Amino acid sequence: MLIRLTPRATLAAAVLSVLALTASACGSDSGSDAKGSDSPGASEAPDLNLISDGTLTVCSDVPYPPFEDFDKTSDTGFKGFDIDIVSAIAEQLDLKVAIKDSSFDALQSGLALNTSQCDLAASAMTITPEREEKIGFSDGYYDSEQSLLVPSDSSIASIDDLDGVKLGVQKGTTGEAYANEHASGAEIVVFPSDGEMYSAIKAGGVDALLQDLPVNLDHQNDPKASGQFKVVETYDTGESYGLAMKKDNTALIDAVDEALQTLRDSGDYQKIYDTYFATDQ
Amino acid sequence: MTLKRATKRRLRDGAAYVALLAVIAIVVLTADRESISKNFLDWDTWKSLWPDIVLTAAKNTVKYTLISFAGGILLALVLALMRLSPLRLYRWLATGYIEFFRGLPALVVIIFMSFGVPLAFGWRPPGGLIGGGLLALIMVSGAYMAETLRAGIQAVPKGQREAAQSLGMGGFWTMVTVVLPQAIRIVIPPLTNEFILLVKDTSLLAFVGMQYNEVELTSFGQQNLISSADASPLLAVALVYLVISIPASQLVAFLERRQQKVAR
Repeated sequence: MLIRLTPRATLAAAVLSVLALTASACGSDSGSDAKGSDSPGASEAPDLNLISDGTLTVCSDVPYPPFEDFDKTSDTGFKGFDIDIVSAIAEQLDLKVAIKDSSFDALQSGLALNTSQCDLAASAMTITPEREEKIGFSDGYYDSEQSLLVPSDSSIASIDDLDGVKLGVQKGTTGEAYANEHASGAEIVVFPSDGEMYSAIKAGGVDALLQDLPVNLDHQNDPKASGQFKVVETYDTGESYGLAMKKDNTALIDAVDEALQTLRDSGDYQKIYDTYFATDQ
Repeated sequence: MTLKRATKRRLRDGAAYVALLAVIAIVVLTADRESISKNFLDWDTWKSLWPDIVLTAAKNTVKYTLISFAGGILLALVLALMRLSPLRLYRWLATGYIEFFRGLPALVVIIFMSFGVPLAFGWRPPGGLIGGGLLALIMVSGAYMAETLRAGIQAVPKGQREAAQSLGMGGFWTMVTVVLPQAIRIVIPPLTNEFILLVKDTSLLAFVGMQYNEVELTSFGQQNLISSADASPLLAVALVYLVISIPASQLVAFLERRQQKVAR
């Protein structure tokens, strides 16, 4: 008896499940609108629209020392200038901080922020007009300078010597844009990150690296390759790093800007800055 | 109530179709169309990809695939014959090589060949950084295809070899003119598989650094993902991968059907 009924039962069950699922799909569709626009019940006065209450979730493309690096001994699991700045801001806002490793592509295209993987991206990201179309930036928190790193025995002394030279840059960075603009005679080789790029110049695959000054300084002072590389030129691009947030989350952007200003006024910003950059040059 | 067996089957099949429709309905209904069109179907971004996506990126992907497949299959042939050799040393060497390179991720081998070998031996593979990466792909795909070829050679009936020998053919000519042609026909489907895997593995070459005229599809997509700040380039690149791999596998399927007709 039971067996005889099975086909019908299957059919009925299938039809029912379609109806139920369609209904629930419609339901969630209209429901998500309401949730997205304003979620009531946040305890603090300004609603920062955080993805998890009470915690500032921060994405960063790690490692990129000295801005971000892994550190098992710290509370967040990470260390670096960006990490310290963000932690200080979170403290100002009375929030806990959670750091997530992410890819720079996802961060600077706005995908990580728009898909709510994190509230804020702190990843040595230069504020550019193109990025500002998709992302909301805080005020600048670090003035970025580009630089040229070459092997110590190289004859390259400035950006004018790069014609026909293999020049390593990082994909999607200000360094890449700067190289395209000012070193058009060079054979520009694009790398996913500094790790591959530094290996390549060590292996002789490229002749020079153009990227953010602090990273190149790190290579110049690399204890394992002491005296092998030198920074021969630096370039002031007039640009600065910003903390990236969802463009429409103005409440969070304002709060972060305010916290940054407080940190500068109190001298805490300078303290963090000196920890990483004081003795350079 | 007794149902005929045919009726039962029709009902069961009907239920399967209804379930499929339900899944499609759920996917369509829950998709955020506005977000999809904003993030994946930005027309200006799609237009900006043309024609480089075909003339540079797809061309390089095909080029890298053909180089590593051709190199890989030659290496595989040598390895397969070594594995079947009566000399134990050859068998050991081939087995060791295959086990070693099958067990390593292709990415690790690529980075090692491009950065590690020049550092360790002062020798740079021809073709610069990409050349090292291609060499790595040849080494890895060769290890995989060697096992496929060996299985194919062993699947050729023993009688074929014995017949050739009874005609007075030597070992080398028996292998080249009698066994290998039949073996290759047997291994065409798994080799097609390896070819399609290679099409996608060429994306790993981006890790060794690429000049703008050297980019393949994935790194092209990623570079444009950055400049356009939306995900349209990734979708475009995904479609081009399909345009490459589906006709390739269909062509092989066609050749296979034709060959089978001849064989009968």
